[in-house]
Amino acid sequence: MNVVSRDIKNAFRSPMRSGAIILMLAISIGLILSMLVARTSVNSKIDEVKSKTGINITISPAGVMGFSGGGNALTSDQLATIVKTVHVASTSATLSDQMSTSDTNLTASLELGNFGARQMRFESASSATTNGGSTATSNATSADSIDTRPAPTPRTTVTGTTNPNSISTDGSDLTLTSGATIDGNSSALIALVGSDLVAKNNLTVGSTFTAYEKTITVKGIFKTGNKFQDSGIIMPLATAQTLTSQTGAVSSVTATVDSSDNVSAVITSLKTALSDKADITSQAEVAAASVSSLQSISSLALAGVIGATVAGAVIVLLAMVMIVRERRHKIGVIKAIGGTNRKVIGQFVTEALTLTVIGAIVGLALGVLVSGPMTNSLVSSSQSNTSYSTSTTRGGMGGEMARGFNRIGSNFTQVTSSITPQVFIIAIGITLVIAVIGSAVPAWFIARIRPAEVLRSE
Amino acid sequence: MLTVKNLTKSFTDASGVVTALKDVSLTVKTGEFASIIGKSGSGKSTLLSMLGALDIPTSGSIEVDGVDIAKLSASQQTAYRAKKIGFVFQYYNLIPNLTALENVTLALEFGGMPASKRKARAEQLLDSVGLTAKEQLRKPSRLSGGQQQRVSIARALANQPAIVLADEPTGNLDSETGKKIFDLLHKLSRSENTTILAVTHDMDIAGKTDRTFKLKDGKIVA
Repeated sequence: MNVVSRDIKNAFRSPMRSGAIILMLAISIGLILSMLVARTSVNSKIDEVKSKTGINITISPAGVMGFSGGGNALTSDQLATIVKTVHVASTSATLSDQMSTSDTNLTASLELGNFGARQMRFESASSATTNGGSTATSNATSADSIDTRPAPTPRTTVTGTTNPNSISTDGSDLTLTSGATIDGNSSALIALVGSDLVAKNNLTVGSTFTAYEKTITVKGIFKTGNKFQDSGIIMPLATAQTLTSQTGAVSSVTATVDSSDNVSAVITSLKTALSDKADITSQAEVAAASVSSLQSISSLALAGVIGATVAGAVIVLLAMVMIVRERRHKIGVIKAIGGTNRKVIGQFVTEALTLTVIGAIVGLALGVLVSGPMTNSLVSSSQSNTSYSTSTTRGGMGGEMARGFNRIGSNFTQVTSSITPQVFIIAIGITLVIAVIGSAVPAWFIARIRPAEVLRSE
Repeated sequence: MLTVKNLTKSFTDASGVVTALKDVSLTVKTGEFASIIGKSGSGKSTLLSMLGALDIPTSGSIEVDGVDIAKLSASQQTAYRAKKIGFVFQYYNLIPNLTALENVTLALEFGGMPASKRKARAEQLLDSVGLTAKEQLRKPSRLSGGQQQRVSIARALANQPAIVLADEPTGNLDSETGKKIFDLLHKLSRSENTTILAVTHDMDIAGKTDRTFKLKDGKIVA
């Protein structure tokens, strides 16, 4: 009889016991595979969410959101603090303003509409009060006020920026339909003009227009596909600061962090440095809070893998120790008739491997069947928490940010389990570790058995 | 030729140092059938353990064909047991999950015989001790005591050892079967020219061997 087949046959000398060991091992290995699949799937989703959230942090003056709210613009000292923060790779600063018909000779290309008119109702009311010399209108109903005040006029947005590409709405460089871009760090009286505003005022590259009583030269024409952006003007930051008499002031800074892993650290540093002077927002920060439940699942899955591995190794170990103790006399006989330690240990390792391999085949099949439902079950139990955290953060954010968070939130529902070859190889590797650990101690016992014991027990 | 000189074996147990063998010296020629007799605790099994390299003597030497087995390393002793020694035990000590044929084949495997030749050699050995082809394929639990001891003898002779050490080979058999087993051993010692050293309580059997050594309190007394 072949040595290996004889040793494999040995593993089934007690079918009931071998069956029980194989069953326990199969459950243990099935659990290992399921937990590995869950961990891999969840980690992959965490990485995906993190990569989508980007590495940008937006710093705005406290209380300011776009052209809404109130507060003081960021100062040049605060900007310097941001630039010097560790892990901040680059920054782009902007200062936005809106020009009325008295500030420019350009005709705004945006129609006010109901929305624009409502946004300007307070300023118009204030203007009407001043003109009429009476406060009576301030007590009138809103509808009456609009009827009695002078019609509000649309405005043209001016954005001074150190990086004109930051105006792009899709994250790529700004698309110029003609001309060339401008240096955001210059202080020249130059501008890039949105395609809608250009069409409205018949501008071309090289033509000029008046803004804040200065003559500005059009250097390029851009098109983003966003009607609001395409109705605006982009200037170098210093130019905008000078023209609007806000030297050194910044209304928004976008800091780009060197790695997504450092976003949280940079946010913490900035919050400490800028205190309550700035509002700091990042999709990554909110996403980090949202993925914490997934990270908990990942940790739980890792604990499951370790626990199941230890359990599997202990099962094989105890089974083999029991078998060795039971066959102590037989081992003595084999050694007495010339069997070497290596051969006897080899026989028991083969037995342990046989039980482990069969347990692994059954366990891996079991794991393939249950890993999908188990991953879904683990993720769906955390999904309610994720939905809650997403909805609670949405209220205080701007539209674009909120849409971003919605996208992140919806990603959690799309965690799909997949058994990759890598996961399978890891599971098989762990199985071998179980067999080796399970055989090592019995091997030590075998080596200690002396052949003379066979005569003593006679 | 087996030469034992001044062999002493001491153990330490709870009561202190116990000397199981005291200055034992004996010589057995090649092909001789010798017996060792003595009461329980006289040191017979301890002597057999030393001769079979199952245990290491405290002092003295055991030379088999000029080689002192007491000075061999653990791996050399294993090789010595596999090739130079054959054991026949009172309770047969066959591997229960292997057939009679496989039990003999296992000894041939340890002795280093090529796999292709083992089966034929095992069949020939079992045939020579009187086991039919059908009986050779049975596991020990389906063989009688006498048949199991025959398998044990075939296993002991598998690698053509220099010495066969038999520990009470007939002690677990009825007198008629015991006599047959003894006759078999005697015949084999002659046909194979193998030295046989058997421990026994049976004075009739001891009387039929070529030489008899009597052990008393760890010493050879006759």
